[in-house]
Amino acid sequence: MQKLFWCVLLAAALLISCGKSAPDSQGGIQSGNKADRSSSGMGAPVDVLTASGIEMVFLTGGEFLMGSATGNSDEIPTHKVRISAFLMDKFEVTHEMFAKAQLPNPSHWQDNPKKPVERIRWRDAKQYCNERSLLEKLKPCYNEKTPDFDCDFNANGYRLPTEAEWEYACRAGVDAPYDFGQADKLRLFAWFADNASERTHVVGEKKVNRWGIFDLYGNVSEWCEDVYSPTYYQQSAAVDPAGPLNPGKDVKRVMRGGSWKASADMCRATLRQGERTGDSDACFFTDYCGFRCVRRATPEELRQLMTNRK
Amino acid sequence: MLLAASFSTGAQSALKEQLKASRFKIAYECYVDGNWEIFVMDADGSRSLNLTGTPNIHEHYPQVSPDGSKICYSVDEGEGREAVRSLHVMDIDGRNRQKLTEHAREPFWRPDSKVIGFLPQEFPKFNVIDYSTKGMSFYDLSTGRIEPHPNSTNLQHLYNPSFAPNGKWIVSTVHAGMGFSHAILAIEAEGSRIVDLKIPGCRPCLSPDGKQIAWGSGDHELVAAAIDLDSDLPAVGKWRLRIQDKTNETYHVDWSPDSRLLSFSRGPASKGDPTKAGTFQSACEIVGVYAAGWNLYAVSADREGIVDLNHCPDTDFLTLTTNGLSNKESAWFLPGRSVGSGQ
Repeated sequence: MQKLFWCVLLAAALLISCGKSAPDSQGGIQSGNKADRSSSGMGAPVDVLTASGIEMVFLTGGEFLMGSATGNSDEIPTHKVRISAFLMDKFEVTHEMFAKAQLPNPSHWQDNPKKPVERIRWRDAKQYCNERSLLEKLKPCYNEKTPDFDCDFNANGYRLPTEAEWEYACRAGVDAPYDFGQADKLRLFAWFADNASERTHVVGEKKVNRWGIFDLYGNVSEWCEDVYSPTYYQQSAAVDPAGPLNPGKDVKRVMRGGSWKASADMCRATLRQGERTGDSDACFFTDYCGFRCVRRATPEELRQLMTNRK
Repeated sequence: MLLAASFSTGAQSALKEQLKASRFKIAYECYVDGNWEIFVMDADGSRSLNLTGTPNIHEHYPQVSPDGSKICYSVDEGEGREAVRSLHVMDIDGRNRQKLTEHAREPFWRPDSKVIGFLPQEFPKFNVIDYSTKGMSFYDLSTGRIEPHPNSTNLQHLYNPSFAPNGKWIVSTVHAGMGFSHAILAIEAEGSRIVDLKIPGCRPCLSPDGKQIAWGSGDHELVAAAIDLDSDLPAVGKWRLRIQDKTNETYHVDWSPDSRLLSFSRGPASKGDPTKAGTFQSACEIVGVYAAGWNLYAVSADREGIVDLNHCPDTDFLTLTTNGLSNKESAWFLPGRSVGSGQ
């Protein structure tokens, strides 16, 4: 029944958005770089605009084969995962977005407000998510009174994606290292070591992925919610996996996607990285660590978001 | 073995005797009974006194005036992002406490002890990270007026500033601000010149004789070196003393009034303790973050070379506190007046 509801809602949304260019809510970032949203195998993704004017993409959820049989040892075994519907930021969080949360920006390259934030500690990213939730009168997902800012996945506020959500969004229904085809096209879709000139770039300058999301393959790598374990795929949950339990001190968290300093291989959709959170460092110098947000919305909230889009 | 122990004890006593005979005192912050307080002790670690003694007020970051007569410090009220950090001043004996301003942090004294510099908070909403600052201002104790630094609008993300004894420069760390990724700067006190001292790390502190600088070159090393602050282009000389601890973190170095001794904080890395009232979660060296197991230590700054705290004889340094209750931000002084019993 719920699936039917999403389909009806999406059909209406597609009719609404048909033929319209994306609003320039990012202050000049043009979303006119059209995604090929065909052949995804799922309900087509839909662009929405949040209450604070941030562009997100609604992904209806579905099943996909996570991991890679030909990648690194932590990418096996491939396994079926079902993902619930969620919204993901169309762009990496930028300096101008971060400033709205009144958080001190630790980034190295702040010469353009539309560049992505970097040198972001894991908890800084989560604090941003909470602040953005409060700005939009949503229930924050993170409990800032706990050491790891424990996540309430049932809250409707913003949070970091799980790595399963991230990979689902990046693969965009395609069972291959890159949703666009071969690595020789990566220059068109990502800022990475071969073309980035050792720095970040304005978000949204490269081609969008098939589901309408920018910079997943490059620019900055992106924090995920999960604890990193190289063997997690051997016991991963089949529905909305959220990573292993926190083993305690010195835990690494998952980081996904390539960055301005990554090789083409490191930009693959299935590549997994474990990174120290930096939470015990006053100054975190890892200048390729950025993030984007996701959230889950009720049908009523989604209807409202699509109204915003009109 | 006996000889070594005997030698060690004797030398330890020599350093301790030097400190004991000095008349110097050290102010510092400590988290006791669920509360931040400012303590004062003799320079050898004896006769520790809770100077603030306020179970319901969180006081920290004591900075003693160069004439030894007053202490300015910060106070936190409220929780999370609604917290308000304010700056206060009191007499060296803890009396006559006065609130100076709100939404400000990291006060520092002008050499004449009449003006307190500070860093306004970057945003109305609180964030405990030390570089969450925008601009620089000065509070005149005689008039109560606050004046901005002449280049204040161009100053951002500074932290841990301090005046050069000649009043000409202010040294400070900057993180992700003013076009710097991270640097230790000399900022002209009454002008707009900014000089990158080109040393790695953070939290510079100038010796009272104006000839040396000490700072943390990383989480695990403190360094002392010569500096020329009379020049129009201050430059740091050879690193002559390096205090290292590859296991624990070392922070908050401060010079004794005679420029011959250094104190510092030391303890394990952590990210705070959310169960402690009045504290925040971040890197534990930051003001307002509980640093479990951290204590204060002193070394002679007359020596040169490397002091490896985990492998050197215990004659090379003196442990000043032992309770491990987040003892940080030590500040030496020669009392201008006798220290009383506090309030």
